Amino acid sequence: MYALGAYAFLHVPLLILAIFSFNASRFTVWQGFSLHWYAALAQDRELIESAVNSLIIALAATALAAIIGTLAGYALWKRGSVWISGSLYLSLVTPEIITGVSLLAFFQWIFRYLHLRLGMHTVILAHAGFSLAYVVVVILARMRTFDPALEEAALDLGATEFAAFRRVTIPFLAPAIAAAAMLAFTVSIDDYVITSLVAGVDSQTLPMTIYALARRGVNPMLNAVSTIIVVLLGIVVLLSERLRKA
Amino acid sequence: MNRLRARLLAPAAALAFLTVVAPLAIICLYSFMSRGAYGGVGQPFTSENYTRLLDPLYGAILWRSFWVAAVSTLICLALGFPLALFIARSGEKKNLYLSLVILPFWTSFLIRTYAWMFLLRDTGLINTALLSAGIIREPLPMLYNNGAVILGLVYGFLPFMVLPLYAILERLDPSLMEAAADLGARPRETLFRVILPLCAPGIRAGAILVFVPCLGTYLTSDLLGGSKTILIGNLVQNQFTSARDWPFGAAASLALMAAATLLLFAARRSGEELL
Amino acid sequence: MKRRAFILSAAAAACSRGPRLNVYNWSDYVAPETIPDFERETGIFVRYGTYESVQEMLAKVMSGNSGWDVVFPSADYIQPMREMGLLAPLRPEWLPHLDALDAPFRHPPWDPELRWSVPYMWGVTGIAYQTSLDRPPCSWGDLWNPRLAGKITMLDDPPEVLGACLKMLGYSLNSSDPAQLRRAQQEAIAQKKLLRAYLNAEVRDQLVAGDVAAAQAWAITAAQAIEAAPDKLAFAFPSEGFARFADTVAVLRESRRQQAAHRFIDYLLRPEVSAKIATATQTATANGAARALLPAAMRDNPVLYPSGGTLARGEWFQPQSAASQRLRDRLWTEIKSA
Repeated sequence: MYALGAYAFLHVPLLILAIFSFNASRFTVWQGFSLHWYAALAQDRELIESAVNSLIIALAATALAAIIGTLAGYALWKRGSVWISGSLYLSLVTPEIITGVSLLAFFQWIFRYLHLRLGMHTVILAHAGFSLAYVVVVILARMRTFDPALEEAALDLGATEFAAFRRVTIPFLAPAIAAAAMLAFTVSIDDYVITSLVAGVDSQTLPMTIYALARRGVNPMLNAVSTIIVVLLGIVVLLSERLRKA
Repeated sequence: MNRLRARLLAPAAALAFLTVVAPLAIICLYSFMSRGAYGGVGQPFTSENYTRLLDPLYGAILWRSFWVAAVSTLICLALGFPLALFIARSGEKKNLYLSLVILPFWTSFLIRTYAWMFLLRDTGLINTALLSAGIIREPLPMLYNNGAVILGLVYGFLPFMVLPLYAILERLDPSLMEAAADLGARPRETLFRVILPLCAPGIRAGAILVFVPCLGTYLTSDLLGGSKTILIGNLVQNQFTSARDWPFGAAASLALMAAATLLLFAARRSGEELL
Repeated sequence: MKRRAFILSAAAAACSRGPRLNVYNWSDYVAPETIPDFERETGIFVRYGTYESVQEMLAKVMSGNSGWDVVFPSADYIQPMREMGLLAPLRPEWLPHLDALDAPFRHPPWDPELRWSVPYMWGVTGIAYQTSLDRPPCSWGDLWNPRLAGKITMLDDPPEVLGACLKMLGYSLNSSDPAQLRRAQQEAIAQKKLLRAYLNAEVRDQLVAGDVAAAQAWAITAAQAIEAAPDKLAFAFPSEGFARFADTVAVLRESRRQQAAHRFIDYLLRPEVSAKIATATQTATANGAARALLPAAMRDNPVLYPSGGTLARGEWFQPQSAASQRLRDRLWTEIKSA
């Protein structure tokens, strides 16, 4: 019962968005059913290109952050490192706008010597950077409930250190890795502030396009975009659930 | 053992250096410089940006931001804990339920916020429904106040609380609770004396993941608060945009980070670290 | 199918070795066909990016190695950008369509000889209101009316809010006199308890829905709201005077494609191209020849193109000195904290 209420809280605003994506009027006054906004969407080259960019960036950054973060979380659980924990902690307490501005300043400074420019690579790097701390936090929280005896048992049975890590620890961590990757993907695909500051030529993302549209007020095309994203990703989630069971 | 650990840590160290340490070092440097004639940074070096921060005006802003972030975090915990518990205990379906928590967050933050504006407005869905049901006569002013800002923050960061809590609860041995019950504990006692203490690392992780972004927020207070109050995030953002005073913005954000760090250190119990 | 064709063509163009031009513009500031038409006609491939605030653009190009060629600064940023050495001088001989500009924009106050920038679009700030009000607001002072408490909004923009207060007091909106600015701040604080919110473009939908009775608004926002509810809404040019602003096109000094950049700017100056842009974006164009080509309803829209007499009450925004900028920011922070 409680869960039902919580899910309603999370999904009702979304449902309303979806309903109004079929509204004939541009404004939030119901004027009849229409697929007009979906048709407009399919014609919009900028929106489609930026959606593709966003997906590439989020997938790449999530993969980077999940792998690097899981390894680091495990290593930190073995023995802490003030330097690594400290800098990850810094990235957590840094306001988004500062992360963005500092990255911009840093990139501009080193790129002067490297003859590089801002672009998709800088966005991926930035996203992996700010997702890393989230991943490590989730992995470490899980590792704290891990019984070291399990790993020691594997070592006693003759497994190498790496084999013990791979065969015992990683399976134990799997749900946490999945949760961490989802978190990283979510913060990456939704980020506007940092992305807009480190993006260069050819790296406009979906949130940037959405922000540009939304700045001019409510636009049902935006509702259509979010409905499509949620439905598509919802199907992916459902399918993976089915596949896992099968 | 140490060689493996070093190898596992190296990529994280490199990434953290490139995206956190080096950029922040530049910001530190900026905070000791002067505003250029038209924005940007220039000589001479000065500590004036920090003395400016001592003004009570900025202290009040910082205090207000802490208050809003703390309330939002507590509400997230109160809402997120039962939800995480529910998901962790729903067996086969737990992955599906977990995905359902995150699903709304794959749409843009901005669009989600607009959805709430649509619900809360004078001519929005809730007011229209209440008016036509005859429960109220005048529309309730639900939008553009602190309540709306906190609602927006809770909505925006709830998954950051649920995910780490779930990661721990999922692993909690059900036999512990059975044991507690067998020993005569009532459900409430089991919750407060067994489950909650075991979840402490998850609560701490969730609290930080929620509290910190709430502290630095500025879009939510603009959109749902109608820009009528100024939080520390807005102050920082103004310095980098309309005021074009990067050095002062850098100093203000370093002060914010220092305050957040101190607070979290104070709240941390010895031996249990987040990172 | 069409979608895939788009992506393929874009990818093919990105890989081709033809001439290129990198254009960095405000979002929603060209017509959908503007860029494709230019590419087809000239064979120059345009990589197009957008920004939401002129500060965002400035932060990117300030380093001098941003990669962009053409940018669209606001008029009051021309002098700062020029002094920072970011702009390339224009070559009038490469811009044969310059004479399409409306007469006042051939010698604008921020760049009288058009050496660094070409005026693009412009606008004013005034009051949008519900026609059902018994006493329609006609001056900034009317936004201090307690009977409208909770139904008034102001823009969320320091120069605009302070500007309206300064104008109401009879001062210049570019004032840097601390005493005048203090008095303006007192007015803004007095007004704050009557305000519903500080809103920019979002106010459009709330005007249409009837949540807001009177709003300080940009003419563009007001024109869109009035189009949606013509008999419910109207726009006033405040009697004390009001703000005018303009956006321009300029070439960055770092650009190694000066000729292509000029070609692009001259293309934008062509009346038929400019008219399409003005129609698509519903903005007031600085291009007089283009305005003549607009549909009558838009060409003579009094909200977008007020009469010369009305415009005489307007004042252009000017760049502020560092000290004045700092005082204004401080006053703004105090207003928001009040």
